[in-house]
Amino acid sequence: MGLGLLSNTLVLLGKELRTELRSRELLTTTVIFILLVMVLFSFTFDPSSSEARRFGAGLLWLAFLFAASLMLQPCFLREQTNDTLSALRLAVSDPFAILLAKLAANTLFLLATELLMLPVFAVLYNVPVFPVFGQLLLVFFLGSLGVSVAGTALSAISAQARMRELLLPLLLLPLLTPVLVASTQVTAGLLDVQPFVQWKGVGFLAVFDLVFLTALWLFGEYLLEE
Amino acid sequence: MKKQAAYAAFVVLLLAAAAYAAFFIAPTDARQGVVYRIIFLHVPCAETGLLSFFVCFVGNVAYVLKRDAKWDWLGVSAAEVGLAFTTACLVTGPIWAKPVWGIWWTWDARLTSTAVLWLLYVAYLLLRSLIEEPERRALLSALFGIFAFIDVPLVFGSIRWWRTQHPQPVIMGGPGSGLDPTMKAVLFFCWAPMLALMVLLMQSRYRLEAMRGDLDVVRREMETA
Amino acid sequence: MKNLNSVFAAYLVAWGIFFVYYLTVARRAAALREELEKLKNSLPRNK
Repeated sequence: MGLGLLSNTLVLLGKELRTELRSRELLTTTVIFILLVMVLFSFTFDPSSSEARRFGAGLLWLAFLFAASLMLQPCFLREQTNDTLSALRLAVSDPFAILLAKLAANTLFLLATELLMLPVFAVLYNVPVFPVFGQLLLVFFLGSLGVSVAGTALSAISAQARMRELLLPLLLLPLLTPVLVASTQVTAGLLDVQPFVQWKGVGFLAVFDLVFLTALWLFGEYLLEE
Repeated sequence: MKKQAAYAAFVVLLLAAAAYAAFFIAPTDARQGVVYRIIFLHVPCAETGLLSFFVCFVGNVAYVLKRDAKWDWLGVSAAEVGLAFTTACLVTGPIWAKPVWGIWWTWDARLTSTAVLWLLYVAYLLLRSLIEEPERRALLSALFGIFAFIDVPLVFGSIRWWRTQHPQPVIMGGPGSGLDPTMKAVLFFCWAPMLALMVLLMQSRYRLEAMRGDLDVVRREMETA
Repeated sequence: MKNLNSVFAAYLVAWGIFFVYYLTVARRAAALREELEKLKNSLPRNK
């Protein structure tokens, strides 16, 4: 722990961000996926404003969760082609820095796509989101962090199994039930005609993030074992 | 082998005794009538399932720290046995719910969390089936098992706090809340055969996994020979 | 004695699950034991 971990993490985070920004493959596909879900969802219920206030939060978070389970696939997989993971392990003193950098990058990517899609959701479903933008940002951040912490760990696991593309959602989605429940509740409160913040839900998300971060800190090094 | 057969017979006897107590000793519930007797099966199953998953968690943590294949065998045995009990709980639930609540299933906190729990451990077994190499399978599934078990209280908490605002068709408040002393005693007694059964099933499943481990060793020897 | 059938059904199904599970474990064990014997018998000849 300490300064070494922080500087290592920052360097690795820079590497993750540069890799992604060079191609923007992950961001583009995730944005299109979420957009697709939003459009398709409109056919499954009456997409009026009042209905969207009731179902919108669930729609958004389900779309985010499914998108994340796809977006997290290449996280460790692309290190396998040239076995860059063992090189990374040799380069850093604390392997936790690798996980930390990856989960920070995933959180940023996820948050970026979510924020990009939020105005689209607002327009398509006639739900005003800008008066509560700050609060939504908080929920999106806490939710995405939870998704990324658990998702980074599980993507390290699924990358080493057969059928990995199918396996990751099956491992990840049941594990994320608490995030789905809490963030949907808080978001629904914010999309209400009279918006309110459910602090209990916000606190719950923070607890989830903290619990899984601690678990990752304790057991993370074993995830990266050869 | 003989010992195990004797133990199995003992478990069957205990199960029969518990069924006898559930049917003839516990008084009939005033509101629900005879159907409430499913509680003597349903609740012990749920508790034993949860206990098995805890055993699985212990095995997982021990494996990650000690790297002894025995802990892996315990982990997989406990997960499978826990799934058997949770399945029994999830099946008896609707059979009880239909005559009492008029519906098979309700998204009530306890039911929903149990369903999520079931899915988590199915995922655990699925993960195991998709990794060939024994040591890697043991380590990765142990790590997933740890994450899954840590998730359990969070799943219960989140669903309890947010999914129970809706009016619930629950008549009975919970085990122990409105139970008369005889019922409570019988319920307690009915837990014994389930625990004994858990030990029996886990033991035989553990032996199977141990044999599989031996077989792997022999196979590897043959390949190098 | 209304709904007595439900109680019987519940007991039948639950016991059935445990019994079937026990049987599958026993069957898998028997198959493995056989394979292990076969392998062990062929091993000494290699050495």
